[in-house]
This record gives sequence, C-alpha cells and structure tokens, in this order.
Amino acid sequence: MEPSEVEFLGEKKMVSIVPHFSSGIIHLISGPVGPFRANLPVKVPIWLALNLKQQQKCRILAQDWMDTENLNELIEKEKGEKLFTEMPSDHFMDEAQMLLTAGADDIPDVDNIRTAVKDIWDLRNAKLRSSVIAFVKNQGSTYAKLDHLTAMEINSIRSLLPETLNVMLQIEESGKSSTSTESQQFSSTLDTTHSQNQS
Amino acid sequence: MDVSNDSNGLDNSAFENGGLNDAEAEFESDEEELTSDKALQVLESAWLNEKFAPELLPHQQLLVECMVQQIKHMEENVQRLTKGDIRINIHTMEICRIRFIISSYLRKRLDKIEEFAVHLLKEDARRSPDEKYMTTAEAQFARDYLTNIEKLFETVALQHMPQRCANFDLDAISMEPNLKKHVFARANKDIPTILISGVHEMEVSFAKGSQHIIQYSAIAHLVKDGSVQLI
Repeated sequence: MEPSEVEFLGEKKMVSIVPHFSSGIIHLISGPVGPFRANLPVKVPIWLALNLKQQQKCRILAQDWMDTENLNELIEKEKGEKLFTEMPSDHFMDEAQMLLTAGADDIPDVDNIRTAVKDIWDLRNAKLRSSVIAFVKNQGSTYAKLDHLTAMEINSIRSLLPETLNVMLQIEESGKSSTSTESQQFSSTLDTTHSQNQS
Repeated sequence: MDVSNDSNGLDNSAFENGGLNDAEAEFESDEEELTSDKALQVLESAWLNEKFAPELLPHQQLLVECMVQQIKHMEENVQRLTKGDIRINIHTMEICRIRFIISSYLRKRLDKIEEFAVHLLKEDARRSPDEKYMTTAEAQFARDYLTNIEKLFETVALQHMPQRCANFDLDAISMEPNLKKHVFARANKDIPTILISGVHEMEVSFAKGSQHIIQYSAIAHLVKDGSVQLI
C-alpha cells in the first residue's frame, strides 16, 4: 500500500475546526456534519478540514493529544517500555503530518509538537526494526502479535516482513520434506523429493 | 478527479452484464436497511480485505451497486444546488473519495482475475449461482481474457510451431494463489482458537481489536465471515 493510501484512511479521523461561515447540517454519504456556526468549533473529518482550510474557510484546532507536555510524557513512556505503547490515534503520524502542515498558522507551539512527534516516530521505528530482526532470527514461528502498532508503522514493514516470512516458511517446509527422505540420495531436486514423498 | 474519471469505464463494464437473479433480489431488501454510512464502511473494509488477501474474495456486487447508486443520487442533488453554494465542493470531494475506493477495489479484483483466471473459472464452476466468487461480468471478463491470451499465443508463436508442440494447454498457464502468504490482520471480535498448520503448528487466540501478522490460510475463513479485518 502506498503511504498516501494510509493517509487517505487517516483522513477519515475527526478533527475540530472553527468555521468562518455558517451552514446547516450537511448530509454526506459518510454521515452528517455540522451545523456550522461561524466561530463555534465543530468536528469534521480531516479531509474536509483540509479542504476548508485551503479555501480559508476555517481554522484548524489541534487534536487533544497535540500538546508538548502530553507528547513528552508519551516519549518517556515509550522509552521505559520494552513493548510498544498505545498511541493516541492509530494514524498518529499521518494525522500529525497533515494537521501540522495545513494548520501551521492555527496550532500554537507547532514546531515543538512537530519535534516531539518526530522523536516518538524515531523511537518507535528503532524499536520496530530491532523487534523485527529479533522475530526473524528467533525462527520459532512465523506468527506475531502487533498490538499498538499504528497504520503507518505496519505499512512501513509491509514491503519486507511478510515476504521474508513467506520465504522462511517455504525454506523450512522444503527442508522438512527433504530430511524425511534423506536416504533417497538420488533425489536431486526439491520437486522430485516432493513427488517421492507423496508416492 | 483523475482517479474517478479514468475509472468510469471500469465501473460500468463490471456491471453491464450483472443482472440480479432472484436470490440477489431477495438479499437486496436486507441491504436497503443499511444506512449509507454503514454501507460505505462495509465497502471500505471489503476494499482493504481484497487489497491484502492473496486470493480473490467473494464479490460484493450489491454493495458496490448500492454505493454507485448513492453517488448518482448525490450528483443529481449537487446539480440542483445554486452556484457558489459551499456544499457543492464538499459533496464533490466526498464523491471523488468514494469513487476512488470503488475503482481501486474493482481494479484489484480484475488484477487477481487476470492472474488466476483458469483457477477461478474452475472453482466457480463448482459453486452454486449465488455462491460464486466472481460476478457474471467478472466471469465474462475472465473468459474473454483467456480467449485473448490463447489468440495471442496462436498468432504470435503457436501457428509457426511444428504440429506436435502447437497445442495450447490452459492448465499450463494456470496459477493458484499462495494461501500461505503472511498478512496483517485486526480482530473485529474475540476469537478463542485459530489453528496455524504447517511446520510450526500452533494455536493462537485473537482478542477483539488486537493486531497480528499471520499466514493467510489460518484466517481465510474469518476474513470471509467478517470476524477479522486485513490491514
């Protein structure tokens, strides 16, 4: 999956905006939004917030978790735990990226928030890399639990990990079948071992 | 905008031949109770499942038709709005987003149908009409695809070959999906036992909302009944 598609999914998350216009409830296919009253905060999907912001029809409010103190706590927690900690959103990284870019002039302390988000991403990425390596080396199985990994993180290992496990499983399966027919010295290729196994 | 425009042809072609049979019409009355936002959610999870599953999943023709209908309604409504209305922009954007999902979903299915055409036609021939994985139009597409491939082989190479190797063997180009591929999954509900077979035989359990990487074959049935969402 393309990172932009992960972002596409993340754009469904809700965010508060302060509209500069008034309008009744808008009945979208994905559900109603509004009513909009100028200067009164209202929750809308991120894609809509970005669109309105582009037309300068609203101000974007930071998500509850976009606050340096809160983020620094998350960093400490992430450092202290061996496993992954739960993020405030499963589209943590892409939400931050979209809202902080589009709402740079609306959200206070935007630079510090961005740095903290980046720190969390780096920390988790290092953790992710080392745990993937440990998992692949462990060889016990090709199954793993991935709790608290966010969509972007899962997508970042999608190109490598599943394929690695596919190949490992294939090698192990063919290894198993060839050891059971070790006595048959003339079976040179895997295909022939297979057919002899079956017969 | 681009995405929706070039996909238009695709949407139509996949439905032209898909007349509703009795069983489906009956099913449709259930479908009508679905609210549009719920239908969109179901479509979106079908899209992601189709995207990540190694095999072709049972078709969701009714759901797609329902969504295309919704879009049509919405487009008509938008036409009636006066110029400059803020809603025009918002609705149009949402329509584009949904179009993208639908066309990405249908295109992914066509990719798989091309890849596994022989295998899928064989499998669907064994299934009863309302259990088939491909829609009527998709099955037609698969047959046309094979006919065209055969014709291509024939004109480019086979007719110049000596008689004894000039036969076109469909089974020789038949591919089957590798169901042992690993996928990412999230549990929609508690699932007490999932059996992973093979070299590392083991039993695992999924708690609601938990995420896993696992062989597709172990959870294929759970993806189809909606207990597990591929991510």
